[in-house]
Amino acid sequence: MKKALSLASALLASVSLTAFAGSADKSIVKSPPASPYQQVSKLVPLPDFLPGMGQLFVDPATLPAGPFLAYDHDKKLVSTIYMVPLKDINPNNSFDNLSAPGGNVDHVDVYYNAGHPGVGEPHAHIVMWHIPANKESRVAK
Amino acid sequence: MSIPRRTVLLAAGVIAPVLIAPSRLLRAGAAIEVAMQGNLNGGYVWFDPIGLHIMPGQTVRWFNHDPGNAHTATAYHPTNYQRPRRIPETAQPWDSDYLMPGETFSFTFEKEGVYDYFCVPHEQAGMVGRIVVGSPKDTAWKNDADLPKAALNAFPSVHDILARGRIHAEMAQ
Ligand SMILES: [Cu+2]
Repeated sequence: MKKALSLASALLASVSLTAFAGSADKSIVKSPPASPYQQVSKLVPLPDFLPGMGQLFVDPATLPAGPFLAYDHDKKLVSTIYMVPLKDINPNNSFDNLSAPGGNVDHVDVYYNAGHPGVGEPHAHIVMWHIPANKESRVAK
Repeated sequence: MSIPRRTVLLAAGVIAPVLIAPSRLLRAGAAIEVAMQGNLNGGYVWFDPIGLHIMPGQTVRWFNHDPGNAHTATAYHPTNYQRPRRIPETAQPWDSDYLMPGETFSFTFEKEGVYDYFCVPHEQAGMVGRIVVGSPKDTAWKNDADLPKAALNAFPSVHDILARGRIHAEMAQ
């Protein structure tokens, strides 16, 4: 798992450089974001608000990697999340030019997830937070 | 006026068992719960107990206690996502479909045997369970190669389940 996560970190470095500068796309700063984003809980059987992440939206055409946009209870964008299946981190595959509409990134979390409806296999969550770490409690539950 | 306490205790101790003794009532007793669990960031997911010994006619109830994920309890059987059969040949397969947090699904086991099941979105991560009904003679499956390694490695042995009654997942201890 450690190896997989370091691979995921490397992947993150390659996809996210463009995301660290600039401001957010206006059409997505508030929930619900404009089409083609759709509410994840309406696409797959998952709770609407995921503890630790928030309310998720995704453009189905970009599955499984995303980006997923996560919102707090006040409908404010808190993070942009990529979900990268561990088996897709290999010499024959890459995730290029993933969009990053969320604007400034405060910090990044990368961690293993066992799977959930929508991405039904072990994968890495790469979470680009648009809010400070001490405000993550806004989506704790 | 008041019945002596001892009499009450005697009544409770002697009469009550007579009233509920018929085996049919015992068999129809409360379902045995298997919890679907996950930790906060979804890194670990598991059934608890992961191994369970019951008698024919008993009911198992799966309960999703994971606030952040959906789970299923799905028998290994060709009618379920073309998975290999790992329940007795003549037994009825089951599939709970996705259970949201707080939802439950119950299934009554009638035939003696070994029953292996999995969670659809978490089979690759090794979220599986094993139920042994009665005292089966045939306890080995020949299709191990068709399962993800993480799933295969997670099953407790039939021997341990029979010896201990229930086996808790590592994460639950
Ligand atoms: Cu599961």
